[in-house]
Amino acid sequence: MTGLLRSWIARWETVLLLLLLALVLVGWASAPGFTSEFNVSTSLSEMAEKSLMALPLALIIVAREIDISIASIAGLSGVVVGMVLRGGGGLWIAIAVALLVGAACGAFNGFCVTALRLPSLIVTLGTLALFRGLCYVLIGGTPISTIPDSLIGFGNDTLFGTFIPQDFVPFLILAPLFGVLLHRKATGRRIYAMGANPETAKYSGVRSDQIRFWLFVVSGVVSAIAGVILIGRTSQASPDGALGFELDALTVVFLGGVSMFGGRGRITGVFLAVLLVAALRSYLLLRGASGYTQGTAVGVLLIASLLMTNVVRRTSQALAARRFRTARKDIAGGPMPASPR
Amino acid sequence: MHVTDMSSRARSAVALQAPEQSRPTSVGDECGQRHLALAHEPATELRRVSKVFEGTVALEDVSLALYAGEVLGLVGENGAGKSTCVKILGGVYRPDAGHVWIAGEEIQLRSPLDAHERGIAVVHQHPSLFADLSIAENVFAGQLLRGRSGLLDHRRMWREASRWLAMLGLRADPGLLAGSLRTSEQQLVEIARALAAEAKVVILDEPTAALSIGEVERLFAVIGELRMHGVAMMFVGHRLEEIARVCDRVAVLRDGVLVATRDMRDISQHEIVRMMVGRPLTELYPKSDAPIGDVILEVTGLAREGEFQDVSLSVRSGEIVGMAGLVGSGRTELARVLFGITKPSSGRIALNGEPVRFGSAADALAHGIAYLSEDRRGQGVVEEFSVLENATLPVIERARRFGLVFRRAQIAMVARPLEQMRLRFRSYDQPVTTLSGGNQQKVVIAKWLATNPRVLILDEPTQGIDVQTKAEVHRIISGLAAQGLAILLISSDLPELLGMCDRILVMRKGSLAAEFDRGQADQFEIGIAATGAIAENGKPRRAVREQPRTAFADELLPRSRASRGLDIAVWLNRLASRREAGLFAALLAVVIPISALNASFLHTSNLEAVSTYAALIGIVALGELVVMLTRNIDISVASVIGLTAYIAASTIKSNPQLPLIVPVLVACGIGLACGLVNGVIVGYGGVPSIVVTLGTLAIYRGVDSIVSNGKQVAVADVPNSWLDLTVGSVIGVPRLVWLAFALFAAVGCLLRWTSRGREIYAVGSNPAGARLIGVPLGRRVLMAFALCGLLAGFDGALWASHYGTVDGQLAYGLELTVVASVVVGGVALRGGRGSVAGVALGTFILLAIQNALTLARVDPEYLQAFFGAAILAAVVLDVIVTHRVQRVRTAPV
Repeated sequence: MTGLLRSWIARWETVLLLLLLALVLVGWASAPGFTSEFNVSTSLSEMAEKSLMALPLALIIVAREIDISIASIAGLSGVVVGMVLRGGGGLWIAIAVALLVGAACGAFNGFCVTALRLPSLIVTLGTLALFRGLCYVLIGGTPISTIPDSLIGFGNDTLFGTFIPQDFVPFLILAPLFGVLLHRKATGRRIYAMGANPETAKYSGVRSDQIRFWLFVVSGVVSAIAGVILIGRTSQASPDGALGFELDALTVVFLGGVSMFGGRGRITGVFLAVLLVAALRSYLLLRGASGYTQGTAVGVLLIASLLMTNVVRRTSQALAARRFRTARKDIAGGPMPASPR
Repeated sequence: MHVTDMSSRARSAVALQAPEQSRPTSVGDECGQRHLALAHEPATELRRVSKVFEGTVALEDVSLALYAGEVLGLVGENGAGKSTCVKILGGVYRPDAGHVWIAGEEIQLRSPLDAHERGIAVVHQHPSLFADLSIAENVFAGQLLRGRSGLLDHRRMWREASRWLAMLGLRADPGLLAGSLRTSEQQLVEIARALAAEAKVVILDEPTAALSIGEVERLFAVIGELRMHGVAMMFVGHRLEEIARVCDRVAVLRDGVLVATRDMRDISQHEIVRMMVGRPLTELYPKSDAPIGDVILEVTGLAREGEFQDVSLSVRSGEIVGMAGLVGSGRTELARVLFGITKPSSGRIALNGEPVRFGSAADALAHGIAYLSEDRRGQGVVEEFSVLENATLPVIERARRFGLVFRRAQIAMVARPLEQMRLRFRSYDQPVTTLSGGNQQKVVIAKWLATNPRVLILDEPTQGIDVQTKAEVHRIISGLAAQGLAILLISSDLPELLGMCDRILVMRKGSLAAEFDRGQADQFEIGIAATGAIAENGKPRRAVREQPRTAFADELLPRSRASRGLDIAVWLNRLASRREAGLFAALLAVVIPISALNASFLHTSNLEAVSTYAALIGIVALGELVVMLTRNIDISVASVIGLTAYIAASTIKSNPQLPLIVPVLVACGIGLACGLVNGVIVGYGGVPSIVVTLGTLAIYRGVDSIVSNGKQVAVADVPNSWLDLTVGSVIGVPRLVWLAFALFAAVGCLLRWTSRGREIYAVGSNPAGARLIGVPLGRRVLMAFALCGLLAGFDGALWASHYGTVDGQLAYGLELTVVASVVVGGVALRGGRGSVAGVALGTFILLAIQNALTLARVDPEYLQAFFGAAILAAVVLDVIVTHRVQRVRTAPV
């Protein structure tokens, strides 16, 4: 039992939980209205799109790839929704088209990475620019504001009178689904293998290219959903919608404990990281910080979280080495226990 | 016997080149030399050395001595401590007890570079060269030769390297990139490096594992020559026949303890094995008496272009068919086709009579074919996974209930196979890396068994495994055959093949050369079939070593691209530089149509504007180049430019009396600081650069917005002298362009002619190798980022001066243009490759196109799409071009 407890304490999620509690305490003490229902629902609502985009991004990073075009896909999908609406189309048609656009963008990324074997960083850096540029090509510089009330309502109301904002619900639904996918499904195990050792995965019959391709498509579709939510929340479809959101999404993923080198990470960590970043932004906003300053804080958090995991890892390894050096006992390869646990 | 200066050694090397020179063919002939050597004190020693790792005793009280002109063999099972000895002598580890002695002095080796400088060189099984540096630079890695000016003397390195390579029998142009060499040739380069450093001690760490018979012969001849030069050598290996041939004495390790050191003449191979294992090994290769059934696998006329042709074979249920052949004969290539990893160009594969075609390994598995790869670490196990996760990976979907994977189901699948392996482990969740190599191999075999295959292809299943586990694996294989599996056993271990197989096929140069039934063949006949050596008098040759060296080498060694004569070398050289030539051609291809379509492109004012902008971007792109050479990226450059531009402008605005150099210096200082922050976190914090610079992109932009606070510095706010700083031309070319040229030239020289610059390439090409030769990785990465930040800061000042008006949003999004320029200019994101000229051309091409679009009245907001497309197009083109230039990549360390 103590072993279980110790492993639980050593987990990154525990650290995140503690940080979150600490931040909530600080916020409650020094920022008036921090813990009010209104503030909680607003902060969650602000993170709705970024947290959604973080889910497939986490899987992609576990698979040792990266997708930094997610914000541009969200923006492009939003622009398409605006165009359909402006042209007189119904809301659900517009949303369907947006999802198709997101899928197409994701498929393009996936194609470049799997069929052309290009590195995903440079591909998505290119498509980040390409898709964003297409936003401007399609509607020029002025946003479209003819957004139906139902969508605006979705982007701004809360759920049945609780503090949970409606636009945060997609994340609440998808997060456990992605969690189950990663931790409990065969595909999830394969994703871990692909990230940890792509060659071995290939030789073990993992259809890596297929999985990679679909990961990018899913990322595109989910980014499109985020783009739709954004329109609801901001009541407009703008060519620079979701600009810079990839920073928060990446921060949430890395802060959540997903390793940049692939093969490691859990969705529970990502979930906690979402709450942590939401709380941080909210706290700063209440203390009067501008968007740029909040961005600075998120940037610092991103770097600090990664530095800390590295430092923690190195010191724990060094400590373990020192501990065993004094013991001088052979513990590796001992006799097999009667029944392996 | 000691040779102290290079020139005399080189002379004697030249003298030994003549092929008619008789060479001692057996150890006994050299006894005179050996007795002489033993009279001296050892060149290096381990005295009573112990080493402990995390609770495991790797070495306990071990003493070894290496004498000049002698080869000491070091043998032992896996985990006996051989590699620990090598690493201690090589300066990688420090002993926990005992000392290393060199030439009679007790020495504390602090690093591999320290060992190298004291004359100890290690030649690895998988040489770790710098693929993107030339062969000559690899030979002199860590001690690049300098000329009188202090700059690197590439010509002298070329000359000296040629001499060493010639002595070692490697015909290759030292100016070529090392990545174009085969493994065996790369090993020779490592030896050349040892010689160039006047190594007194050369340690060969399992050097023959990846070599063909001919290459082994060449290596042994080289060892003979090193012996004659008085070099002390240690030969670590598993193949006792080789140890017996080349070593004078042998030291046997078992479980970290030195069992004995004997003269090779006084001991037999069986006795060595007994000492290694601790008990007499009577039945090393169990006979298999499995009943042989129907044909399961049938291959007809299978061929794959460039790898093998016209292979036809069949394997029956219960049969073990062996495949012998030299490395490169096509056996592994055949296995990869059978397993669906690669596709054949012609021929048929049939399973149980039905023709099959595999699109992937997953397909092959679904049909019941399993393949145990020879590369366990790279293709067999996932080191981050536990024993259970590794064992269930290929069949993970079979452990599902209601669509979800459950632990009990997984265990149910693999419990039996793991038991069959007699695997010693503590728990299913144990990380697989805590097992020894032999036990990891058992996990991999269990993994394949869990897939219930009908056909099992084993590729070197017992390579690098201790004798005891080897016997167990053989027993398991026999048992599998008895269960009705059809087994194809690829092996370079001839005794293993002879003992295990019902039939042995021999491949040579991609074709089936011979087939033997059990009992018909012996090692030499197989060797003849594998090498194609023709008997002079009709009788089969007894030992391949009786062949004269050069003729043998010529016949056996497929020549690599690099050594196939000077014309190929020149062609390859030209290809390497074709990138810049290609870029130049691309530039013309872009500029000419543009000027044809729109004559205003060529107007002086337009050209000035384009080239000025190109200069501003180019200066930053230069910094980005240096960062990307180290396998990193810096996307915070635009934020740095914005920040430093504002600060420079506001400095001169608030203090117009200051000399103009001051705001420039301030900007440079801030840029340098920003770069240092990036560099410290990336270089010393171990955080990936994409993440760090994404964060600092936001941070620096945030600082910029705080500092500027919504205000701007207008043209009217600053003195004219400040604005005039970047205006004007010299002989028609704008000042900024001259400045950019100067900076490009300076950085180009830095990269080509200083050791720090070459180290930057080394860091990107092979970071682990760079560390081993003493390159301070952290410092070089820091240097790259600092330079990038400095250039970005300098550029910010120029920007502020040139455009006059500065606000907090300046240069927003410019990082894209910079990265696009660099990528278009041919800089590889994977590091180690790129040039200053390429970046200059790339920048100009990109901006010329941008300018053309602007002249064509294309909306400037579309430009972002254009840059994105440019990056993608450049990278796709790069992939196409590099596919044509096929490179043999260095094996991972």
